[in-house]
Amino acid sequence: MEFLSLLDITFFLLAGFGALVGIIFGAIPGMTATMAVAVCLPLTYALGLHHGLALLLGLYVGGISGGMVPAVLLNIPGTPSSITTTFDGYPMAQKGEGEKALKICVIASVVGGLISAAILFLFAPLLADFSIKFSYVEKFLIILLALSVIASLSSSMLIGIFSGVIGIWLSLIGDYSISDGGNGKTRLMFDFMEPYLFEGFSLLPVLIGVFGISTILLEAEKGAKSGLVNERIKISKGGGFSLSIFNGRLTNLVRSSFIGTFVGMLPGVGGSAASVLAYTQEKNLTRDSSQMGKGAPQGLIASESANNALTGGALIPLLSLGIPGDSTTAVLIGAFTLQGIQVGPLFIPENTETWYVMMTALVFANIVMFFLMFYAIKYIAKVVMVPKHILFPIIVMMCVVGAYAINYGIMFDVWTLLIFGILGYLVQKIGLEVAPLIIGFILGSQAEVYFVKSLESFGTFSIFFTKSPIAMVLWGLIVASVMFAIVMGFKSRARQKMELTQVTGSTRTASGKGHETDND
Amino acid sequence: MRISNRLMTRVGSAALMAALSVSAGVAMAQDGPLRGNIRVVIGSTSTGGDTYQNSTIVVDQLAERLDLNMKVDAVGASSAFRTLDRDSRGNTLMIFHDQSYLGHLYGVEGYDDIFEKYTVGPTLAINPGNAYLVPKDSPYQTLDDIIAAVGNGETVRVAIQPGGVSEIGFSALKNAIAIEHPGQEDNLVAVNTGSQSDKNQQLFDGQADVINGTVQANEQYTRLPEDDQKAMRFVWLTARQDTIEQAPEEGLGQTSREQLLEYVEPNVHVTMGDDESFTFDKEFFFLYNKDMDPAIVEQIDEALTDIYAEGEIQETQKNAFFIPNFKPSDEASEYLADKMARYEEIISNIK
Repeated sequence: MEFLSLLDITFFLLAGFGALVGIIFGAIPGMTATMAVAVCLPLTYALGLHHGLALLLGLYVGGISGGMVPAVLLNIPGTPSSITTTFDGYPMAQKGEGEKALKICVIASVVGGLISAAILFLFAPLLADFSIKFSYVEKFLIILLALSVIASLSSSMLIGIFSGVIGIWLSLIGDYSISDGGNGKTRLMFDFMEPYLFEGFSLLPVLIGVFGISTILLEAEKGAKSGLVNERIKISKGGGFSLSIFNGRLTNLVRSSFIGTFVGMLPGVGGSAASVLAYTQEKNLTRDSSQMGKGAPQGLIASESANNALTGGALIPLLSLGIPGDSTTAVLIGAFTLQGIQVGPLFIPENTETWYVMMTALVFANIVMFFLMFYAIKYIAKVVMVPKHILFPIIVMMCVVGAYAINYGIMFDVWTLLIFGILGYLVQKIGLEVAPLIIGFILGSQAEVYFVKSLESFGTFSIFFTKSPIAMVLWGLIVASVMFAIVMGFKSRARQKMELTQVTGSTRTASGKGHETDND
Repeated sequence: MRISNRLMTRVGSAALMAALSVSAGVAMAQDGPLRGNIRVVIGSTSTGGDTYQNSTIVVDQLAERLDLNMKVDAVGASSAFRTLDRDSRGNTLMIFHDQSYLGHLYGVEGYDDIFEKYTVGPTLAINPGNAYLVPKDSPYQTLDDIIAAVGNGETVRVAIQPGGVSEIGFSALKNAIAIEHPGQEDNLVAVNTGSQSDKNQQLFDGQADVINGTVQANEQYTRLPEDDQKAMRFVWLTARQDTIEQAPEEGLGQTSREQLLEYVEPNVHVTMGDDESFTFDKEFFFLYNKDMDPAIVEQIDEALTDIYAEGEIQETQKNAFFIPNFKPSDEASEYLADKMARYEEIISNIK
């Protein structure tokens, strides 16, 4: 218990302050947890390792959590990992349940964060050994499983898959990077585009463009007559919030937290896959998924618990293999190298004090995040009460600043924002679906790298089926996921048909009765 | 009224004087050709890597010495080159390592000849950690075993990141095999991967027999028990013996300098022909926009000469397992051009 002497007031203040700043970063579209940690990284010099870690872990937890705010209220994922939060959060906010949605998100987040911290603390070295059993083949299959959500996410499966494929295609523009073991050559573009598109489109400007800018364009088309975003809606409508929402959803909460932790601990699979995968599994395994995507709390629970569980998960390979689990922990590793501390398989046994300090900071940051957000939500949710003609220009400005800042000042990222804003608008106009497109975009390039690398390493297609028992289990899950989507598709079509015949039937009766139902 | 006018005049002139003296102070602080905010871009996107770490050490000292606001940005090679291309005022500088010319020698997209396109600035330090490792239970005890096995027609797979620092040792090994066992060199096969974690994973999966790594990233793996799937063993450090001898005696982690010296020449010999041994030190240096004011080059050279003369930076660098290696721009440019010529030969030999 010697580490207790290292914990002073400053330590807790820094962790709490980090969580607060992180939430703000996460909530501004375009600013991410990674950026917050990167900006504050040099401070670790002045603060010393333990205080520095408290600040950075606070930023990490806060940054991941803050993304839920714009996702729910404005349909803009504040961070890539909160993309699935928009699916149910925004419809809820439109129904006037923004505050309720955010409270569900906060509780799911803190539970996810704490479960993953517990897993990290108890099983880190064990899980690290398990994670290295995932080679290129298994990682490809995990991504394929996450991609299979496309099939069940869309209202028409064919259009969904088509949109997803366009997303994947867009993600392949640019070079096959040398740092991924590729040849560094560009493809899917003309020569004159090379200076701009060498590394392809940046993820975040695409995300903010497709979700944020296109939503604003669609709203602009309607005109600003109504004044408020949701004029007639009182924020607290919907019976308020009570913990009973979580009744019967504990399995979802725990399962999603485990999925988040698990995806987090696989280096290179990335944060967005965690929430997408948890969302897919909830959609597949729950008894009634018909409301998911239309404003169901269970979607929020899956998405937010998984993306916060990522924090503990991504620290597993960092602290027990020396390999960061996601982009934020890749920056976090800098705090150790700047202090001359090696992270590797012997980090935990050789630095027990630092290890305990980190765990304390992680748990404390989660708790601070919870209290800060839970009690601030009432006020934050009022954002939707700001008149459109004031709110939208502010959002556009924030989006532009965020897009420009994401790669430290590349103007093309701002153009990307505009291009994808218009594209997102057109896509919705012609009836394609945005969510599968963006999931395809996020996961496409990773899928490619792992697919090519698997073939390069093993030289045969059959390896995808025979590599290991893990691969077979993953295939089972993929098949189940797709089958489920097909069955659900047929069922909902049958239901629609039935409703249609009923409606036509009742209209006929109604017209026979001389328009008596007109006031309905 | 008159009094207040006079008062106003006095106050006004006092304010003017104060403003002038303040601006004079500012001007004095930035009287060199380098002024404003300086952004130092680096050729790596990682803030946990050696380029960021070393650049931060140097840039912090430089910023203090020149009294300027300087910041290191980990933007990655292609972005860094492009950013440097755009700014000839001197507000963007770049720090990178041998990858900058090796990328060109290997014909990697986005890498031009740095000696033609940029001004090569001073060298700063060496990272002596470039290493090759095998699984702890590998049948190959030494690099000689590997050379001999390949010479006997055995296929040995080496996981590297193609097109640069990670590949140069592989190329040298292939060249050595071509010299010692002509015609057998194709049995040494490169497995192209990306990050260090990918290379490690290839070893864990049994998809590679040897991997490129670093002392910093892999040292802990070499201390795991042999029955651990993750356990590894160093077989070769590409650094010169001289370089490792300058490292702190305690080495890195729990591997002492003495132990590290076992894996460098002359204990490990990779021939380049004519009794010459191949060595490779990964060196960090500045790169400038070609049209940048030469006075800035001189200013940075002078500032770094002063910093290195004080000796504090060397301590910081050594503590972080870097070997200080400051050479002013002219000397550095000539030295690096020679270095490039050496490696160009190896690469063309095995093509």
